[in-house]
Amino acid sequence: MKKNIKKYSILFAAATLLFAGCKKDYGDLNNATIQDLSKNASQSELNNLVSGTESGMRNGLNFYLDDVSIIGREGYRFSGSEPRYVLDLLGANSATLSGSNFYITFPWAARYAVVKNCNILIQAANNSTLISSAQKKGYIGFARTIKAYQLLLNLNLTYTKGIRVDVANPDHLGPFLTYTNSLAAITALLDSAKSDFSGASISFPLAGFAGLDDAAGLTQFNRALAARVSVYQKNWQPALDNLNASFFSLTKNFNTGVFHVFGTGSGDQLNPVFIPQNQSGEQRVAHPTFATDIEAGDDRLGKATLRTSPAALSGLSSDRDVWIYTSSTAPVGIIRNEELILIYAEANIQLNNFVEGVKAINVIRNGHGLGNYAGAVTQPALITEMLKQRRYSLFFEGHRWIDMRRYDLLGTLPIDRTGDDVWTEFPLPVTEQ
Amino acid sequence: MRNKLLFIIGWLLVTIIPISLFAQNKTVTGTVTSNNVPVQSATIGVKNSSQAVASDVNGKFTISVPDNAVLIITALGYRTQTINTAGASTLDIKLVEDVSRLDEVVVTGLATSVKRKNLANAVGVISSKELNGTAPAQTLDGALEGKISGAYINSNSGAPGGGVSVKLRGVTSIYGNTQPLYVVDGVYVDNSATSGGLNAVSLAGPGGSQSNQDNPSSRIADIRAEDIESIEILKGASAAAIYGSKASGGVIIITTKKGKQGKTNITLSQDLGFLKPIKLLGTRQFTAETAATLPGDPASLTAAFNAAQSAGHIYDYEKEIYDHTPLTRNTLLSMSGGSDKTGFYFSVAQKKDGGIVDRTGYSNTSVRLNLDHKITDNIKIGITTNYVNSSADRGIFGNDNAGVTTGIALSSTPDFAQLHPDAKGIYPDNPFAASNPLQTIALMENNESVNRFITGANLEITLQKSSHSNTKFIGRGGVDFYNLQTTVLFPSVLQFESVNKGQSIQGSTKNLSTNYILSLVNTFTPSDKLTLTSSAGVTQETGNYNNILDVASQVIAGQSNVDQAGALNVTQLRTKYLNSGIFIQEEAHIINAITLTGGLRFDRSSNNGNVSKFYLYPKAGLSWNLVDMGIIKPGLFESVKLRAAYGQANNVPAYGSKFSALGVSNITGFPGLLVNTQAGDANIKPERQTEFETGIDFSLLKGRLGFELSYYKKNIFDFLLLTTPPPSSGFAQKWVNAGDLTNHGFELGLNARPVESKNIVWNTSVNFWLNRSKVTKLIVSPVQLGSVGGVLLGTYQIEQGKSATQIIGLNGQGVGVLGDAEPTFQMNSYNEVTFFQKLSLRFLWHWKKGGQNVDVTQLQNVFGSTDVDYDKPSSIPHVPHGVAQLMKVGSDAHQTVETSTYLRLREIGLYYTINKLPVSYIKSITVGASLNNYITITKYKGYDPEVSNFGTGFSSGVDIDPYPATKSAAFHVSFNF
Repeated sequence: MKKNIKKYSILFAAATLLFAGCKKDYGDLNNATIQDLSKNASQSELNNLVSGTESGMRNGLNFYLDDVSIIGREGYRFSGSEPRYVLDLLGANSATLSGSNFYITFPWAARYAVVKNCNILIQAANNSTLISSAQKKGYIGFARTIKAYQLLLNLNLTYTKGIRVDVANPDHLGPFLTYTNSLAAITALLDSAKSDFSGASISFPLAGFAGLDDAAGLTQFNRALAARVSVYQKNWQPALDNLNASFFSLTKNFNTGVFHVFGTGSGDQLNPVFIPQNQSGEQRVAHPTFATDIEAGDDRLGKATLRTSPAALSGLSSDRDVWIYTSSTAPVGIIRNEELILIYAEANIQLNNFVEGVKAINVIRNGHGLGNYAGAVTQPALITEMLKQRRYSLFFEGHRWIDMRRYDLLGTLPIDRTGDDVWTEFPLPVTEQ
Repeated sequence: MRNKLLFIIGWLLVTIIPISLFAQNKTVTGTVTSNNVPVQSATIGVKNSSQAVASDVNGKFTISVPDNAVLIITALGYRTQTINTAGASTLDIKLVEDVSRLDEVVVTGLATSVKRKNLANAVGVISSKELNGTAPAQTLDGALEGKISGAYINSNSGAPGGGVSVKLRGVTSIYGNTQPLYVVDGVYVDNSATSGGLNAVSLAGPGGSQSNQDNPSSRIADIRAEDIESIEILKGASAAAIYGSKASGGVIIITTKKGKQGKTNITLSQDLGFLKPIKLLGTRQFTAETAATLPGDPASLTAAFNAAQSAGHIYDYEKEIYDHTPLTRNTLLSMSGGSDKTGFYFSVAQKKDGGIVDRTGYSNTSVRLNLDHKITDNIKIGITTNYVNSSADRGIFGNDNAGVTTGIALSSTPDFAQLHPDAKGIYPDNPFAASNPLQTIALMENNESVNRFITGANLEITLQKSSHSNTKFIGRGGVDFYNLQTTVLFPSVLQFESVNKGQSIQGSTKNLSTNYILSLVNTFTPSDKLTLTSSAGVTQETGNYNNILDVASQVIAGQSNVDQAGALNVTQLRTKYLNSGIFIQEEAHIINAITLTGGLRFDRSSNNGNVSKFYLYPKAGLSWNLVDMGIIKPGLFESVKLRAAYGQANNVPAYGSKFSALGVSNITGFPGLLVNTQAGDANIKPERQTEFETGIDFSLLKGRLGFELSYYKKNIFDFLLLTTPPPSSGFAQKWVNAGDLTNHGFELGLNARPVESKNIVWNTSVNFWLNRSKVTKLIVSPVQLGSVGGVLLGTYQIEQGKSATQIIGLNGQGVGVLGDAEPTFQMNSYNEVTFFQKLSLRFLWHWKKGGQNVDVTQLQNVFGSTDVDYDKPSSIPHVPHGVAQLMKVGSDAHQTVETSTYLRLREIGLYYTINKLPVSYIKSITVGASLNNYITITKYKGYDPEVSNFGTGFSSGVDIDPYPATKSAAFHVSFNF
């Protein structure tokens, strides 16, 4: 019997050993994972990350544009099922902005998801042995540029509350930086991306970068964003320097630039800011002052078309639909030449180069059916004119509120109902506090 | 790997030297009875031999044995008897019923078992008669309701085809699996619920087409209760530790019927019955004045009401939709028998039940063949096979954000609405809701159909046998494969399909689960005072689930194929796991009075963060019988046992929770990868459960009265939670091992035979149980889950220091605790009274005291202005009841957090058996009548207090316009040939 037991024990031990060799890790069968891509990503996987980044930039875009445009009194968003557009955002009665509501949590999270994707792209490109170093620079330069842009959009919302810039490790997130330091960090990111692009080879397809999809074009896009940040920082000469390195031109089409694009393909997105004209129920309408403040003959009045019947909700009304995004696949601008011309005007006015400033303003005016600027050629007058041109040229593209804040003019925005407020900034999302 | 296994088994086979058979020289016939009632399927075994036969339906048996052979007669529910055949050729064996169940054999390990009187745990056992012999439930999962002490069971929906949520001894997980593991004849059967994609239509859950709010059936419903011999319930880790990583929710071990040696027994039984709704809520009767207060233009509403009234077109739509009496039928043909080497059980069964709502219903066809064969005296092999085809049409019910489910549509439809089709069969739009429920019911389809094959094998080889030692190899394993087809069709003519223009959703799911256990068991008896049972082995379980869901919209009229559509969206979900374990277990049985058990299991799983790490799960148990020990003199007490057991088990993380995945997106035709909102945790650990159980069991008056009292304490460590990290991390949700929780409770059982006379025998059992839970540690801020409307209507909240199942909500001053899903206690009582040995009355009472549901069904009717009590006066002068209820919404949620106490006569059946028949080929006929869920005493305002519309997960007890629960009545006749 002892002998037998020995035999069985050996057998059993053998079976156990056999069995112990049988461990499995199936991985994620349904999706690619960050872990997979971080190891040694192929060019096509990196390209997928680029397209995913571009695609993700569109998520929650409507919330951002509505937030900025409603507080900047460019328009209203009337919705039967969502009263907070006309209550919280306009500060009706005692309503205030809350850090737990969709208008901050959705766009904020969507931007940081793209930042995360950019960080994954940087890590994946760095760890990949399957691409050349020139290609690597291209991916990293793109990722840093987009990351900077996404951070800037969130900073526009939270302003002095700041943003987290270092978010590479989800378990150890960096601190919130002040507004000034946040802008400096964004500038630094853009600058490092610019040096990535020198000698870079772009081996990925881009959507919405017509004519700007090579290393030179991406550098120009990067500098265009840098120019915008420079004017936010009141760094007027660097703004002009950045413009010179961008696709800025006083003679080129206003709509040269980079856009979010949309499509009807499976898994693609439709323009979330598009609402048909004369719609009832869900409406995006222009603030009444848009039409009353405009100069006669300005073709930009077409950005807000007359409704067949006025829209009204909660003591607010408007007879004009916002009509910039005219189809469900119409593009939404990220940055375009018209803004760069206005930055050129602004920087020159601030540097007291009034000739160049007026020249740029006239390019805009003439481009929209107006005669040359005839007002006083003084810095305050030109700033007022520049801001007015920005208001109409960049209508509903997410600028008015920020411009008014930059020039400390929020108090001049119209109040439609007694007790309404013009907010300076959004609170941080509660889950960040 | 597989080849190597075959090699090992083959090698084992050739090393066995067959032992020659005994000489047989005498035929013994006999009858087994108990209280003059024949005992069927008693096993008549020969001592020191593997030979055995079974008694037939009249208790008769024939066996050929050597002279002086000792027979051991065992039967489930009876005391074991030993009889010497010396000098006898006919035996009249009278078995004594085992009221206190001391002789019941109960599993203690993967390959070992012990008599209940030596057991250290309170293992629940449900016999075939208790399960299915009183008033059969529609499906197996329903048949468990009210029968398990220590369990809290709720139906996900009253819709045909089952689907219940079972919690054994409290909540054992929050985001992980809370359901027990089902093992049928050694095969781990899959019990996952697959959604058919209804969410794409109802928008009940956020995003996507699948949601736990779709109320799919659970797959354990496929197994036929008629085939089951007994069910054993291991309620927690102290008993189930040896099942390792799948055992934290408890284990339900199902043993199906097997053939035994003896005459072939053929049974044909037929049930015929009907279903009715348990309760209807009633609807508000409108007047011209009240009609005008509905949303819309008062003048046209008044006109609509007057027109309907003068034409006599006032309808009670609730009655019209739910108050039907569909028929149910169930046919079973079974055969069992065998020779000295081979036994078989074969059954074929078909069931077809209508549903109280038109075009709903359930059908199930099942074929089972169980074979047992002795290759030699030392090698036994058993094979079980079961094929099931089931089909359930379940309608569309429950929560919804689109106004399309039947209940939600009804809730806002007044009695003067005109919903009936015109002469051409065209249904009018319902102006009061997003859908016309009559049209939806008539034209929609929601079907789940399953083809399932479960097969298991059991190999037992005696490797060595001597007077003191016996070593066996036991191998068990099996395969469970099913193909589930879900078909959901909403044609474009439906009122709510104006945007999607018709939706067809087809899901195809394949699931393959396999498992095996290879073990060596040695029983060593050095003296009659000591028996040592040692077992060791390896286990492996795999699962491979693949679900493809095609959601087509803009479906061409009259078509249902998903390619006949303008738009198609496809999703695929796959999960795959491999769990493997090694176990050793030692049981010592000392001086017939003390039983010590110790075991270790090492487990790893491909779902864990670290796939190669073995987690250790120990268990230990002690039972000490004071009477057998001689400390208490036999007499009044037949047996007094003290017992204690401890064990650990775990719950592996959900598949994929260790990964941070990237979702697919598209921009102008370029495929993109964008990080998902859910972050994984690469180091995720299993939830770990420890359970300590102790108790005292005693039986007195020669076993006519038995008590079982248990106390348990279950701790769950590192429970898994989906938390909300700062969004700047790029993620909206993250899996973490977030904290600890504990459950403790009592279970008290009583078995008695209060009456035992010549003509009347009454057996009764009463169980009482309660459980309390508490979250002892939580490393994140409190998390709300399982809510319909958050604190507005009541929601669960996981919070440190509070009960895990607390329900919080607005209380008038702010947010406070409004209730708890945990019942204060539950009780049941099963009774069988036999008159004149032929007429048997069986009934089961179930009482649940306390515990709250989140009941939104009634308030939904108030929101829709159709609640039956809407116009009744309220406590506020001149304000009708409905308006008073609406005024509370937003400040006080007490009205939706509702106590769900009930007392229910769950089953009652009366059966009469005729043994003496003029024709010899029919041995007996049993006729009977039964009622299921017929009497319910409750103050609960919804359709049924026993409800769980949010599926089988943590949040049971949510009641939101379900398919109303049903009661049934049936007639039974069964012939034995």
